[in-house]
Amino acid sequence: MSPSAVRRSLASRGASRAIWPATWFVLLMLCVWGFPYADGLLRVLEPDANQVVYQRASLASLLLKHLFVVSVAAVVTIVGGVLAAIVVTREWGRDFLPMVAQVASLGQTFPPVAVLALAVPALGFGTLPIIVALVLYGMLPIVRNTLGGLQDVDKDIKSAATAMGMTPWQVLRQVELPLAAPIILAGIRTSITINISTAAIGATVGARNLGDPIIAGIVNGNMAYIIQGALTIALLALTVDSLFERLQERLRSRLFTS
Amino acid sequence: MIELAHVTKRFGDVAAVDDISLHIPKGTFCALVGTSGCGKSTTLRMINRLIEHSDGDIILDGQPVAAYDPVKLRRRIGYVIQHTGLFPHWTVARNIGLVPRLLKWSSADIQAKVEELMTLLGLPVGEFATKYPHQLSGGQAQRVGVARALAADPDILLMDEPFGALDPITREKLQDELSRLQARLHKTVVFVTHDMDEALRLADHLVVMRDGRIVQQGSPLSLLQHPNDSFVESLLGGLERGLKQAALTRIKDHMSPMGPTLPAHSRIPAAFSLRQALSMMLRDHTDRLTVVDQHDVPVGELTLRKIVKEAQPEQGKVRES
Amino acid sequence: MSLLDALPTPQVSWRQWRPNRVLFVLFSAMLAAVWLLDVVSVAPNRIVSGEGVGLIEAMGWMGASLVSAVILTLLALSLQPSRQGYQVVLVGVSLLLLLLPVGLMVASHRLISSDTPMARLNMGMAYWLMLSLLLLGWIELRLRLALSRRRLLLMLAGVTVVWGLCVMLGLESLALGQEFRARDDEFWRALHQHVTLVSASVAISIVLGLSLTMLMRRYTRCQKIAFGVLNFLQTIPSIALFGLMLGPLAWLAAKWPLLSQLGFSGIGWAPALLALVAYSLLPMVRNTYIALEQVSPETLEAARGMGMRNRQRFIQVRLPLALPVLLEGIRITTVQAIGLTAVAALIGAGGLGAFIFQGLGQAAMDMVLLGALPILILALIADAGLGALADILRPNDSVQSGDSP
Repeated sequence: MSPSAVRRSLASRGASRAIWPATWFVLLMLCVWGFPYADGLLRVLEPDANQVVYQRASLASLLLKHLFVVSVAAVVTIVGGVLAAIVVTREWGRDFLPMVAQVASLGQTFPPVAVLALAVPALGFGTLPIIVALVLYGMLPIVRNTLGGLQDVDKDIKSAATAMGMTPWQVLRQVELPLAAPIILAGIRTSITINISTAAIGATVGARNLGDPIIAGIVNGNMAYIIQGALTIALLALTVDSLFERLQERLRSRLFTS
Repeated sequence: MIELAHVTKRFGDVAAVDDISLHIPKGTFCALVGTSGCGKSTTLRMINRLIEHSDGDIILDGQPVAAYDPVKLRRRIGYVIQHTGLFPHWTVARNIGLVPRLLKWSSADIQAKVEELMTLLGLPVGEFATKYPHQLSGGQAQRVGVARALAADPDILLMDEPFGALDPITREKLQDELSRLQARLHKTVVFVTHDMDEALRLADHLVVMRDGRIVQQGSPLSLLQHPNDSFVESLLGGLERGLKQAALTRIKDHMSPMGPTLPAHSRIPAAFSLRQALSMMLRDHTDRLTVVDQHDVPVGELTLRKIVKEAQPEQGKVRES
Repeated sequence: MSLLDALPTPQVSWRQWRPNRVLFVLFSAMLAAVWLLDVVSVAPNRIVSGEGVGLIEAMGWMGASLVSAVILTLLALSLQPSRQGYQVVLVGVSLLLLLLPVGLMVASHRLISSDTPMARLNMGMAYWLMLSLLLLGWIELRLRLALSRRRLLLMLAGVTVVWGLCVMLGLESLALGQEFRARDDEFWRALHQHVTLVSASVAISIVLGLSLTMLMRRYTRCQKIAFGVLNFLQTIPSIALFGLMLGPLAWLAAKWPLLSQLGFSGIGWAPALLALVAYSLLPMVRNTYIALEQVSPETLEAARGMGMRNRQRFIQVRLPLALPVLLEGIRITTVQAIGLTAVAALIGAGGLGAFIFQGLGQAAMDMVLLGALPILILALIADAGLGALADILRPNDSVQSGDSP
């Protein structure tokens, strides 16, 4: 679900790609700081509403909270997912491989709204339930890619590494993880990009983030509010996604070019 | 020195290697030959404990392998495999310096060793040191593989079909270089291959395996002269066996002194094999060759009659290098 | 395809005597959960949150030791697994799953007296954990015994039915049951709306997706743009997409009265359906595209070599070979749509999501559960059902159980 194709369709291939993160970021900032002054523009959408600029909280503070929630979920997912995938690809953890693979794919079967709703009784309203839902929803791409990346490392190479006298830890650190890194990073990118837009539903259980203007817009029938939230989230997703793309390019070139 | 005594490896109920005994003295080039699935690779991998054996004893330098720490053991043993197993994310130089770095050599020592080995294996340092494996040809990659195995100066070198994936010309070239290297370094080499010609060319000691057992072992010439059964014979090439044997026999061991007759028109160096002599006779329509030394001075002569007599089974001299 | 299909079939060697560590861990965790955490909770009425009750208090010494004995037996069996052993464990796990509601009945009998009709029993942390651990155990056993997805689905359906019956008929005091009885008409209507919306949006996106893919295959230049637009749609949060449909549709309905007579308006099913279809198109198109492209060129070349026409090749060769991957796309789309339809309740489209948002609004967690649980079960059933269908349709796979690719 990466929006990279958007860029690919727009960008002429080559060096100009480097400017995309910057472009999206500038647009994002323009949205965040510009909407409060764009009364006239938003008025076009909702000529009859008495207010068109979302004012209950500044978009900047909501953006920070949104980022915070997604980051916490991402850290938990990455640490948990990558660790789990590493453990089950070791000789001693192999028993758990089918189970972990299955559970990770179940995680994405669970609709985030349902998980969110189920988490509220246990965790109360606020930020915690949405973090739990995001962790569950974002687990699959990371576990799947880490598993796939580690398993894709050529058997001969692993065998050669062991035969040269590397300890299992050295094989993991110096051979398996670096070789799997591009695939793992791709999984992290998918997971985070999905979660940036999924996090918006957290606003329904009282988590303050960029979903707030959207919910307020739906409740009040105010399209202008919705646009402010939606556009900011979409631009945030595009910014982060393009940053990851740059990171992947850097990683690839560090790994393989002379 | 490597000693295998009644070694067995079972996977579940299947014995992949079944009660084999093998004695490989220091400095010997030993080739394990057989069809695929005969247990030759398993035997090799039991020596550096990539696979643990089920029964029997494997003794390295007087100690059972089980007594060594597997990681330290492997750092002392060079290992080369078919698809090189080079790390694609490391440069050639870093790949070669792997084991020295694991052994915590100083970086100056590592660099010196890497450059020495690259020169030894015909890889110009300036051109190749910073290349990545995917930028190398198959032959170049395998040279790097051999260099990597030799980096920590191990006494023992294990090679698992190292040249199996190369084209015939590159393969032959690398085989020649390997014999040259071995003549200089005198490692104890265990070499697994399914290519009998390769084994005959390189080995001092040949071990033929089938279904996890050793069918026959001995010097290449003794196997050629006295194959134990039809399997070994077919592996040795059936009707072509004579030519293979001739290929292993040096002219200088069988030439006769210069006779009273005039020197023959065709000349052949004494270091060549009987097979090459035979080929030259066929080409030049002659049954007599003049043998010359490296300075092209005639030292003897060789006749077809003599070659045919030599080809008969007898206690022929085993090739020595 | 599910992640498991990408893995090698576990090599099971019955001769090696070693414990099944997965089951061992699961059953140990289960034992710890029932003793250390609250099994159920009791609330005096709907709004007040309940008070936790431990195993002994809830089930009595008899019940507690019975539960522990069953789990201990399973634990012992997992130490030295054999094929028969696994089958016994499977029976044990299934029994536990079926008996869980009975445990609730015992607890309700012991904890809730008849003079407090408003009191509600709720399943506690230990209960939920037990349920998920049992399901995990099932997954593991399915792999060990190489059971087909179809069989698993049947068993899952059986357990769901038993549970449903217990909740509807036997368990008067269970909060979920009370919530259900208070609005059972509403529940069935919501379920119906939910399923209808999902099926309609999936059906439309199959048709649209297929046609779009065909167009993209013909006009390759539009391909990038189409994928770009679809990708961009996915970065917009689902709730925003629902919201964004409100305005334009209300305007359309106001403009053409005929549309509004058909039930077309700014809120309700119309914008929900539109947003669902928009969201479903990307996974649909992507999978259809991959499905059609992944058919090996050699096979198609061979078909051409035998003299098949373009249309024949497409219908007789490409499409059947692409079908499993295509179904995979339908599976992803359906599961996603089931979740998204819950959000559609926000714009008045009804469905099970309505319970969730109403419940959240009233801080009535039992009502939230009444919406969320069926959604979860629907998603699981759709996932397993369509997965099983793909297994059946995969060529040369009719003998295999679906565990191997």
